Amino acid sequence: MLLSRLKVILQKAMFGLCFALPCITASLLLGGCQQQQSPYFGTIEPRHGPEELWINNSSEPEWLDPGRCSDSTGGEIIWNTFEGLVQAHPATLQPLPAIATHWDISDDGRTYTFHLRPSFWSDGHALTADDFVFALRRLVDPQTGSKYASNGFIFQEGLAISRGDAAVETLGVRAIDTHTLEITLVDPLPYFLNFLSFYSFMPLPEHLFQDLQNRGIDPDLWTRPEYVVCNGAFRMTDWRFRQHMTFEKNEYYWDAVSVKLDRIRVAMVESATTAMNMYVAGEFDWPGGSTSLPAEFMDHLEKYQDFHSHPYLGVYFYWINTEKPPLDNPLVRRALSLAIDRDSLVQHVTRGGQRGSADLVPDGLAGYEGLHIPVYNPVKARQLLAKAGYATGQELPLVTLSFNTSEGHKQVAEAIQAMWQQELGITVELANQEWKVFLANAEQTNFQICRMGWIGDYADPYTFLELLTSDCGNNHSNWSSTTYDTLLEQANQQHDAEERLRMLREAEAFALHEQPLIPLYVYTRTQLIKPYVRGIWGNHQDRHPWKYMWIDESFDPHDLMVGAGKNVDEDEQVPQ
Amino acid sequence: MIRILLQRLLELIPTALVIVAASFALVRLAPGSPFSSEKEIPPEVRQKLEAKYGFDKPLPEQFIRYLGNLLRGDLGLSTKYPQRTVNEIIANGFPVTLSLAAIALLWSLLVGITAGIIGAIRQNTVWDHVAMTAALVGISVPSFVLGPLLVLTVSLRLHLLPPAGWGDWQHVVLPGLTLGTIYAASIARLTRGGMLEVVRSDFIRTARAKGLSESLIVWRHMLRGGLLPVVSYLGPAVASMLTGSVVVEKIFNVPGIGPYFVDAAFNRDYFLVMGIVLLYAFFLLLMNLIVDVVYGFLDPRVDVS
Repeated sequence: MLLSRLKVILQKAMFGLCFALPCITASLLLGGCQQQQSPYFGTIEPRHGPEELWINNSSEPEWLDPGRCSDSTGGEIIWNTFEGLVQAHPATLQPLPAIATHWDISDDGRTYTFHLRPSFWSDGHALTADDFVFALRRLVDPQTGSKYASNGFIFQEGLAISRGDAAVETLGVRAIDTHTLEITLVDPLPYFLNFLSFYSFMPLPEHLFQDLQNRGIDPDLWTRPEYVVCNGAFRMTDWRFRQHMTFEKNEYYWDAVSVKLDRIRVAMVESATTAMNMYVAGEFDWPGGSTSLPAEFMDHLEKYQDFHSHPYLGVYFYWINTEKPPLDNPLVRRALSLAIDRDSLVQHVTRGGQRGSADLVPDGLAGYEGLHIPVYNPVKARQLLAKAGYATGQELPLVTLSFNTSEGHKQVAEAIQAMWQQELGITVELANQEWKVFLANAEQTNFQICRMGWIGDYADPYTFLELLTSDCGNNHSNWSSTTYDTLLEQANQQHDAEERLRMLREAEAFALHEQPLIPLYVYTRTQLIKPYVRGIWGNHQDRHPWKYMWIDESFDPHDLMVGAGKNVDEDEQVPQ
Repeated sequence: MIRILLQRLLELIPTALVIVAASFALVRLAPGSPFSSEKEIPPEVRQKLEAKYGFDKPLPEQFIRYLGNLLRGDLGLSTKYPQRTVNEIIANGFPVTLSLAAIALLWSLLVGITAGIIGAIRQNTVWDHVAMTAALVGISVPSFVLGPLLVLTVSLRLHLLPPAGWGDWQHVVLPGLTLGTIYAASIARLTRGGMLEVVRSDFIRTARAKGLSESLIVWRHMLRGGLLPVVSYLGPAVASMLTGSVVVEKIFNVPGIGPYFVDAAFNRDYFLVMGIVLLYAFFLLLMNLIVDVVYGFLDPRVDVS
């Protein structure tokens, strides 16, 4: 009897242990992490020598071909393996001389003459002005099928060539001699030099294309490591599909003396959480510019010294279909915008340090001062709604807000649904759609309100303002205005920079008074950078040239006093 | 035997045809295009891209062309990774998925059968309860919980193994355990059940009467009967390890083909979706066939023909 009782007790104890053991282990391990008061997140001892860097580039790029690339992961690689006429300053993004040492601009601001330095491709071939002509013609050539062909429409005849109405030889890019290149623009774009550092405008090794063709190899495969020839700071030596790429210093690079690292290992880890885990374990020194940090960890990560955040040239907004009632009335659209408490949205919902904003153009672009439209005014919102003929929100027909399936977009949409219900009494229905379905609906303006984000391609207000022009394919609002189009056109013809910015501001104010879209917030980029990595600056286009990066061997990982590590953005010698 | 095998193999052909037709219809009926993106593509460029992949032709023509290419073993080009053919992507990723599944299978068999035997020969003892409770926990904990827990404990706290990646043997361990555990748990329960079913049967009594040692009875007679349900379970289990590694491959960033199954559908990467569906279908059919054959060897009562 006693024995069987004992057995039952023992059994119960074993059962309990089965469940308790994992819990105990987990609490021990988690408790252990709280005891360590490290100011850094994860290990701070480099797992490799000082000549090497381990980073992440989130996913397998579609193309590494500058003329065809259209995604940020490909862009990251191209910017570091190719060099254009100018390069962007790592902190300010202002154009610095690169392959072009200096340039002359014609009086009408439409013709640029670039003087090229003697430089070489990574196979020792001399780089000439013809390599730029070849690359830019190829960009707009309809045969290439480049998704970013429109970047070449700024050159004279670019659009006509792309439509098949003109021969590629007519493009406004020509080589005057081997080291002089002349570019003629359609408009005297004040942001041209800034834009010129974009990856679409890199030179291409024409000799390699011919060589591959002669050998019977598909020239489209030219970016594979066994063939690739480049002219940037690094060249690719290994490419394991969806695993990692290896880059080595390009000894033929014109500025090779400034390049500090010998080797860079670039992994392709898509999951933000996995990338963060690998950072903690020291498998990454920097999870890369294109990898975001998981939003649910943000409150925790902010406490660490290796956490960095900076504003990013991107705006999150809602398109409104301005043709479908009741949103065809601008008063209703403005009421909707004013009823959104954007500060609360970024503090409690998005939580990544974003800045709530009702402006389309973020501050600080080439001296542009944002409109700073009031972000929240529920009283005025109700007045506007009443003026539009709806004394209460209940009278307004049901409005549908669509977004592509994602936890983040859903949370934002739910918050805004609640705000509109609370402040205006409007009932909003949410509809999530799978990405490609969502895109198809956006393209056909088959929605009432839909979410979108826009990342600026160059540091000029026009990259955002262009969105609302009548002939812009990315304008999904059905809104168009000749007044707005004319204002922008006149501004781009304007030589006086101050006057131009004033005109752009006027255009933005005009458009936002009509409210064909509702801006919600300006993006931020958050990153983790090991304290021993130096030479990374935060900038609003998230462009981080590897050539300036280096490993600080003087960093002492055992000195765990708060403040021992230096912030990467501070007291670093910015290249001139 | 060989004739039956051949017959079964021939039967696979119409099944495969139905699968090709159905998956072709499904992916092509889905709204959206492989070339749509947030940023508008000039219409001329889009036409050019569609022509490159033959999407500008009428659907029936595309289907016939696809079938023709398929017969030559050509699965087409990927639209998401334009520099790679679907054949190349599968050739890159499938061995990885296969080796991950092999580790998971080994782990699940080793742990599952051991726990099952212990449970059966020590029925209703503490040992049995512990083994079966552990199995219950194993079945209930999904891989997206087990994976991160293993990473947290083994990699980030104890620093024993890398948290993610691929290349060394160390990279295989955690994803293998994560993927295999749920199957180990099922195998343990099946082994125990199967052995308990035969434990009181006449041939075991005969074996005991012959004076065979207990360990020999367990190994030679009981286990053989006990493994029958496991074998029939293994076919679908191996197939689902191969096809169901999506989550594990994402968590541990394993460059297998699992994630493509989902991503390619999202990206409307038509040929890649089709290629992977066909590969998975082939393996499911093959596994079922193998199980039927092996069953015949293990259980004399089953006649394969």
